[in-house]
Amino acid sequence: MFDLFYYLIFALTVLGAGLVLFTRDTVKSAMALILVMVCLAVNFLMMQNEFVALIQIIIYAGAIMVVFLFVVMLLNLREREQAPWYLRDARFWGGALALAFFLLAAFGVKTFAAAQIAGGHPIVHEPSDVTSIATSLVTFWVLPFLLTSVILLVAVIGAVAMARRQDEDGNEITIDTE
Amino acid sequence: MSPLLFEGNLLLSLLLFTMGILGVVWKRNAIAVFLSVELMLNAANLAIVSFAHAHGLMSGGILALFIMTVAAAEAGVGLAIFIALFRAKQNIHVDEVDLMRG
Repeated sequence: MFDLFYYLIFALTVLGAGLVLFTRDTVKSAMALILVMVCLAVNFLMMQNEFVALIQIIIYAGAIMVVFLFVVMLLNLREREQAPWYLRDARFWGGALALAFFLLAAFGVKTFAAAQIAGGHPIVHEPSDVTSIATSLVTFWVLPFLLTSVILLVAVIGAVAMARRQDEDGNEITIDTE
Repeated sequence: MSPLLFEGNLLLSLLLFTMGILGVVWKRNAIAVFLSVELMLNAANLAIVSFAHAHGLMSGGILALFIMTVAAAEAGVGLAIFIALFRAKQNIHVDEVDLMRG
């Protein structure tokens, strides 16, 4: 039962990723990515990691994807012309390199990762519920946790500075509300 | 921890990451490229959490939280760049932005 459910989620995740890859419409692509994120949240729940599952839904599917959809709506892009010839070569070699990466990494996973789990480090059993993660976040991890707020602040300032409208002299254009 | 869950998750993470690479290489629309980058970040998150779970550690969840924070910051700044780019060029095709090409 558990295995069957796992394979179902696995297939759904790969299907969503394939849709992200092969859909031309950006909105549908973003929707497919939301499907992938929800499936990954279910996967995290199957690993008894509720905290990551929750922030996956709230931050990724909730916050980040809304920003994406908002920008797609704002720009209103239309794909008009065919891709130029020089992109065909780039696509072929890029695809070949990605395939090579996949084969190499699959070999690595099959050879080393399983062996490392089987006979490597001792397995400890820390609790991974929300309470212990929250406690650890404000004790041992407090400095990185506070630094994330600096990152977010810098990102907000940078985003506003770059996206605001300017005239030729670099002066800000204010919207006339009258 | 069932071995199915661990090896299956590593394979899933690898599949998602490869599809993200393909998206970055194949797509022409900068927002679609960015969506593929998010796919790759998700794959990395999945790998981190599965490794931490296989070892019985909880720090995987904390690392995943930090990755998500960086992804959020990156999405905000990146999309702001796309808006500025769209204003200058009326499109956001990645092959037409070659101002800093060496």
